[in-house]
Amino acid sequence: MGILEPGTMIVSVLGFLISFGIVYKVAFKPLANMMEQRRVHIENQINAAERDRAEAERLLAEQRKLLEEARNEARQLLDTARARADEQARQIVQEAKAEADRLLTEGRQLIERERAEAMNQVLQTVTELSVQLAAKLLRGHTSEAVQRDMVAEAERHLGELVS
Amino acid sequence: MPKHPFLFDGTWYRVDLVTVFWTLVIGAIVAITLAVVARRLDMRSPRGLQNVMEWAIEFARNMAGDTMPSERGVRFVLPFAFVTLVYLFAANWLGLIVTLEFEPAQDISWLGIHAHTVYSLLNSPTENMNMTLGLALLVWLVSHAYGLRHPWRWLKTYRNPMAIIDEVTNPLTHGMRLFGNILAGEVLIEAILKMPMLFGWVPTGLPLLIIWLLYSMFVSTIQAYIFALLLTLYIGHKDYSVAHH
Repeated sequence: MGILEPGTMIVSVLGFLISFGIVYKVAFKPLANMMEQRRVHIENQINAAERDRAEAERLLAEQRKLLEEARNEARQLLDTARARADEQARQIVQEAKAEADRLLTEGRQLIERERAEAMNQVLQTVTELSVQLAAKLLRGHTSEAVQRDMVAEAERHLGELVS
Repeated sequence: MPKHPFLFDGTWYRVDLVTVFWTLVIGAIVAITLAVVARRLDMRSPRGLQNVMEWAIEFARNMAGDTMPSERGVRFVLPFAFVTLVYLFAANWLGLIVTLEFEPAQDISWLGIHAHTVYSLLNSPTENMNMTLGLALLVWLVSHAYGLRHPWRWLKTYRNPMAIIDEVTNPLTHGMRLFGNILAGEVLIEAILKMPMLFGWVPTGLPLLIIWLLYSMFVSTIQAYIFALLLTLYIGHKDYSVAHH
């Protein structure tokens, strides 16, 4: 076979194959597994980060929307409250005015009535006094009928005087 | 060419003991080194040798990715390419580090050793043509085994008879290239070491030796890379899982 040595060839290739098997088992596999694991880990991390970011953006948008809604609601509430308060104030003022008017009217009526009553009493007293005076003056000089006429006339005059 | 002791010397199936021995020793060295690395793997903060090994795997992956047409092919060839790369790197460097010679005083017939002859006991296993051709044949067999996953497409490539020539020349040059480069390096180192000393003590060959060692280191590294690259290329050529262009 000259310079070719099949024996050396076969045995050294077998030696290489054995080495390959051992190196593959003890070193290459764990290394490759670890690198694959790291690749997967990094991929997961990136995915998770992207997902979290999207989630955060979504939440932020939601929060913004909620805040905007809350603000609108508050403004609305405030507006309503202000309107209601205005309304109430106006109503109270109105009621107060009406009450005051009523009180005023009542007071006036009362005064009127008191005055009229007082006047009536005065009138009655004056009438009686004048009748008594007239009766004293005219005792014996007049009849019952004339006296009644005089009383009536006196009342009429007094009434004119009062009004 | 350095002389080696043989088992079954004088028969056609004789076995070069130095080559076989160092083949196994290189395997053990690579396995132990990588096992030490693998035992202290850290996914989060890789340190020291682990970085080197990861770099080597990435390197082999890129190499395979450039030459293999499919991702499945890359995954198939990656362990083979990576282990071959590391193994050949260690094997090629071995002969540069130490030279060990042995001159027996008497014959040792069962090892084919004759008295008063200098035998080299430490050489790169890749310095032996049979070893590198064996590896090339192994690659050739693996590539065809892989190609036969699609027998019809595999057969169709031989419509061109030049493809048959390729089948002969590819493994031949694949093995011979590695063998030739490493052998040349080691033979020249040996020759320089045999240079006579000036006045019996001035090592005139030393500057030459240093230059040649540096060059051989470069060649050893490059040849390991080229062998692994051609390995992925030849297997990639037989990857018919995607339609050929």
